[in-house]
Amino acid sequence: MIKIENLHKSYPMGKESLHVLKGLNLHIKEGEFVSIMGSSGSGKSTLLNIVGLLDIHDEGNYYLNGQLIEELDEKKAAVLRNKFLGFVFQSFNLITYKTALENVALPLYYKGVNRKERQKIALEYLDKVGLKDWAGHLPSELSGGQKQRVAIARALVTQPKVVLADEPTGALDSTTSDSVMELLKEINREGMTVFVITHEEEIAEETDRIVRLKDGVIISDELTNKKVTV
Amino acid sequence: MFDRDIWAEIFHSIKKNKLRTFLTGFSVAWGIFILVLLLASVNGMKNGFTSQFNDDATNSISIWPSVTTMAYSGFEANRVIQFTNRDIEYIKGNFKDEVEYITPRFRKGVVAKYKKETGSYQVRAVSPSHQYIEKTLIQSGRFLNDNDINNKLKVVVIGRKIKEDLFEDENPLGKTLIVNNSTFRVIGIFTDEGNDREERYLYIPVTTMQRLYSNTDDISQILLTYNPKYSFAEAINFSETLEIVLKRRHKIHPDDQGAIYLNNNAEGFSDVTNFTNMLNYISVGVGLLILLAGIIGIGNILVFIIKERTKEIGIRKALGARPAQIINLVILESVFITTISGFGGMLFAMVLIGIVGPNIKSPAFADPSVELSTIIIATVILVVAGVLAGLIPAIKAAKVRPIVALNSD
Repeated sequence: MIKIENLHKSYPMGKESLHVLKGLNLHIKEGEFVSIMGSSGSGKSTLLNIVGLLDIHDEGNYYLNGQLIEELDEKKAAVLRNKFLGFVFQSFNLITYKTALENVALPLYYKGVNRKERQKIALEYLDKVGLKDWAGHLPSELSGGQKQRVAIARALVTQPKVVLADEPTGALDSTTSDSVMELLKEINREGMTVFVITHEEEIAEETDRIVRLKDGVIISDELTNKKVTV
Repeated sequence: MFDRDIWAEIFHSIKKNKLRTFLTGFSVAWGIFILVLLLASVNGMKNGFTSQFNDDATNSISIWPSVTTMAYSGFEANRVIQFTNRDIEYIKGNFKDEVEYITPRFRKGVVAKYKKETGSYQVRAVSPSHQYIEKTLIQSGRFLNDNDINNKLKVVVIGRKIKEDLFEDENPLGKTLIVNNSTFRVIGIFTDEGNDREERYLYIPVTTMQRLYSNTDDISQILLTYNPKYSFAEAINFSETLEIVLKRRHKIHPDDQGAIYLNNNAEGFSDVTNFTNMLNYISVGVGLLILLAGIIGIGNILVFIIKERTKEIGIRKALGARPAQIINLVILESVFITTISGFGGMLFAMVLIGIVGPNIKSPAFADPSVELSTIIIATVILVVAGVLAGLIPAIKAAKVRPIVALNSD
């Protein structure tokens, strides 16, 4: 599903340039539940941005769903993001003046789905995350855990190939963290490829495979016990 | 553009940001409001000036003699110049093609009496042509004719106000009016567009007045209209020639500025037209500059809003919004706000003009109005302004990189 070969990325920092990713090789197959572990500055966010088509890499190859990503302009990136990727962010990133239902329906709008259909599908996904009764509420009226569930519903609504979650529990307490992770696991069990970025050991332990990143290189890539027990 | 969802987005965004939408729109509404008000005011001034000049024919020249200020041709200075009937004949004879109508005129204060009613009025001793030069309108009966002049008949044409003063409900036509102890037969009643004062004149044949009161052929003023086909330059040229000829005839130094006064209405009228045109340009300029301030204000506020919404735009992009969709959204919102508020300002200005306009009682100001072309031009300006104001912010928004936007707060 995601295949990365010898990926390099550096950012200009004044006259110097900061070499963030130093030749990564990673292959994530369909249906995997993978976490990228690393402290801040390890390059894990940069990796997510490149995988999420929010940023471009300097060197190496990136295949998304078998398609080589190259010469990516804004428009092309937008279409690919809409088609293949669902995002879950640490700070939820819901649009504050739209209701839960409208937030979930927004990716479908950019996909070109008509209004009625949008509402219907969005409501289905809200139901899936257990928030059907909250459809008409604004984000400000929801708890942190509920907001993240809305965000997950929004990430799923276009039926993407991969869900990218950037510190999905970073802004949540431990109880709600657990329920959000449960939800991600459930999604994964239904066959979705889920790609989590975190710096928390406990969260990474919940996934099937942990890739550890330090200073722009992968230092370990192993399956967790969970996968073995299944 | 007519996608319901885009409009839903725009209304949503406006509804959620009422204050900034209002502030944004207000600057444009204000600009258009002032532009329309200025143009209407200039229109009102123009109408005021024009109606003042409508009183007399616009191609008229009046000439009146005074006292010489320079010695010339054996005469001392301070000689009194006197026009007579022969000056009229002379002009008539020498400027056949140039002159349309010509009349002598002199005034005399009189007491007029009918039965028990009396009043003090001014008599204007004139010839029949005066009717066309002064644009006198006959309400009933007739104006003076050549027969009255030739036979020095004691007939009088009275103004509407005099009829009201002296005759009340009686029909004055054919009645006898006593003017300074002489009896005159009323042959006509006139009205005048100028003002009430004009309607308190009595018109009596110039020959009759000369015989009755002075037994001379002196006149105090010459009024004429020139060929109406004349351009402004030709009219000025003609009045200059006339002045030279009259000075020569009365042995006045060519450079004597005081002996003869000649007033060409064309000069004043042309001045007024130039003046109001210039005012028009100035108000369009000032209005557009104020509007420009409004447009820049909108652009400014939109840039700020984009900055404020950077994160939202980032989210939209992450969810698959294409740059064109973002640009579309921002520009449409800008055009929508400018157009609606612009029309609001225009409407407010027009209502104000409609209410206040008719209550302005000033001879220099009449019937202020907004022409259709102004409204059409203003609309075009508003839409263009909206696009321009939205363009830079929209491009800025489209360039927002999702990762930067998502990390910003």
